[in-house]
Amino acid sequence: MKTFFRIIGTLVVLGVVALLAFIFVPVQRTGPVTQLAADFKPAKGQGEYVMRAGDCMACHTSEGGKPFAGGRAINSPMGVIYTTNITPDKETGIGTWSLDDFRAALYDGVDKEGHHLYPAMPYDSYRKLSEEDVVALYDYFMKEVQPVKAEVPETKLAFPFNMRFGLRAWNWLALGDAGFKPDASEDAMFNRGAYLVEGAAHCAACHSPRNLMMMSSGTNAKDAAFLSGGEIDGFTAPDLRGPQSGPQQWTTEQLAEYLLTARNAHSSATGEMALAIRDSLQYLTKDDAMAIATYLRKIGAGKGAAPVAEKAEVTPTQTLLTDAKPDMPLGPRLYLDNCAACHIVNGKGAGETFPALDGNSLVTAKSAKGLISVILHGAELPSTERRPMKLRMQGYDDRLSDEEVATLATFLRDGWHNKAPAVTAAEVKAVRDEAHH
Amino acid sequence: MRDLPGLPSRRTFLKASAASAAVAGVAAVSMPAEAAAPAPTPLTEYKPDCLKPTEWAFVMAAVARLIPSDGDGPGAIETRVPVFIDKQLAGDFGKASDWYMVGPYEPAASPLRGWQTPLNPLEIYQQAIPVFDDWCKATHGKIFAELDAATQDKALTSLQKDEMKIKPELREFFGILLANTKEGYFADPMYGGNHGMAAWKYIGFPGARGSYKEWVGKHNVKYPLGPVSISGERG
Repeated sequence: MKTFFRIIGTLVVLGVVALLAFIFVPVQRTGPVTQLAADFKPAKGQGEYVMRAGDCMACHTSEGGKPFAGGRAINSPMGVIYTTNITPDKETGIGTWSLDDFRAALYDGVDKEGHHLYPAMPYDSYRKLSEEDVVALYDYFMKEVQPVKAEVPETKLAFPFNMRFGLRAWNWLALGDAGFKPDASEDAMFNRGAYLVEGAAHCAACHSPRNLMMMSSGTNAKDAAFLSGGEIDGFTAPDLRGPQSGPQQWTTEQLAEYLLTARNAHSSATGEMALAIRDSLQYLTKDDAMAIATYLRKIGAGKGAAPVAEKAEVTPTQTLLTDAKPDMPLGPRLYLDNCAACHIVNGKGAGETFPALDGNSLVTAKSAKGLISVILHGAELPSTERRPMKLRMQGYDDRLSDEEVATLATFLRDGWHNKAPAVTAAEVKAVRDEAHH
Repeated sequence: MRDLPGLPSRRTFLKASAASAAVAGVAAVSMPAEAAAPAPTPLTEYKPDCLKPTEWAFVMAAVARLIPSDGDGPGAIETRVPVFIDKQLAGDFGKASDWYMVGPYEPAASPLRGWQTPLNPLEIYQQAIPVFDDWCKATHGKIFAELDAATQDKALTSLQKDEMKIKPELREFFGILLANTKEGYFADPMYGGNHGMAAWKYIGFPGARGSYKEWVGKHNVKYPLGPVSISGERG
């Protein structure tokens, strides 16, 4: 009996020690993935370019706030996470951080004091940044960004998510090796695209599904779920690899055009993607945009082959709309009354101006929230350097009832070549009510 | 006076409430059920935004002669043109909010010089209606709204020809009364007139649908759909 208690006691002590170690032993920080020459100096503009590719500014700047001074509220399923001040201010920013501290935040998701960052910071992607880019980015933040003294609201998630040490276990499972491993069987352009997509541009943060532990499925193209579509705040981030997905239906040039200007011959960007293009992707060089497009098309169902030209056929939907019979169902009637002037009876819209609705990933998305939101509140293309016009679609929230929006959305999701389930008035009401908050 | 196709005959004054009921009946038949809006306040119970009772009575009577309810097609009363005029006079148009309304004023200047009176449209209605009513009483024995239809037509013709020599500050009165009546008849229903898009249905105007590109090449084919309004009413 005595021995039994001794064993139990020892196990308890060991357990407590392990737990304390789990909580208090500092995380081993990943060092540089390559050893740079002592006199390495990033090229002029390289740091800012990496910042743009990584879209740091979008999250680390509050609405109307100073650049990089943090304080933006990020709505996560666990609660509101406030982004931090990453200006080189010594008290409230990262002014006292060394290159190693900085790299640890990008690679391991820990701050200078060793606290875990919430994975709203996409360190599972930034972990692939090359040492050259890490140094360039560090250089940029320390030398080119204006220090701003600004405290940000403390992130207070509910239990158990406020136990940041728990992220240690999450990191064990979610993080792969640091650094980017090029695919030797592919060319430099493909690998440059892979490096950008998997690393700085952190496309997977939205476009990959997350598992029950909120981890992105896969960190590279070898995982079939990687970039197969995800969900963000109830909106669907479309699949990028399936045969019906935009990247696989468009040419490489058209995909690059979309990334740089938010519009191409087929579609236009809305919601979070419009913001990603406005704040980040439009700053990429044409070559990098082409590299991303090449990579995305190669890892998809099309395997990089040129898309099959569409057959010029008249769908029953187009015939129904063209005939405009007074006894037509309400869905197509609403389309004629509200949409057809721009999106045309063939559902093809007009290139670089009005997106096609036939085969549009937003229209057929798993969650109809994005489609409903655009019908109710409209959409606006971001102004980009190459295409500055902020083309705008008005909202129809004052013109269409919940039932009418549901009927119209159901028609769009089942019109032309589309095949997606119906939308209910309750779904529409939920989106309408959300906007009134 | 006016030359609307299919309106050859004159009619006796149709009671506004009766006309509204008639139009509500028509609307219920021709509009899809889900678009049928609740019946609006009858004109006889309508509380004007800016017109006083005598002014309202005049506008009701005058527009009923300018676009009468008998003959083919709806009249100004069934399409609620008086509501449109009241709302416009109560708003920016009535106050001439976005017009150049700074002197010097030359009300007697050539009409080719446009709006020369210091009065805004609402003030013109307010000042001209009593003048015209007085003239009707002196000439025909009753104020305008109480005259029979034939005499009302005669009085309006006299007003148009300025037989009473109205003062120059008010000379725009007949012009804006006629224009506002047409506007109320044909404007989008969101402004209070063209109720149920009845005027659009009558002339076959398909409304604010935006584009009819696929119909451009279809010659001598009647466009089949009824109109749609800016707020999405379907007719």
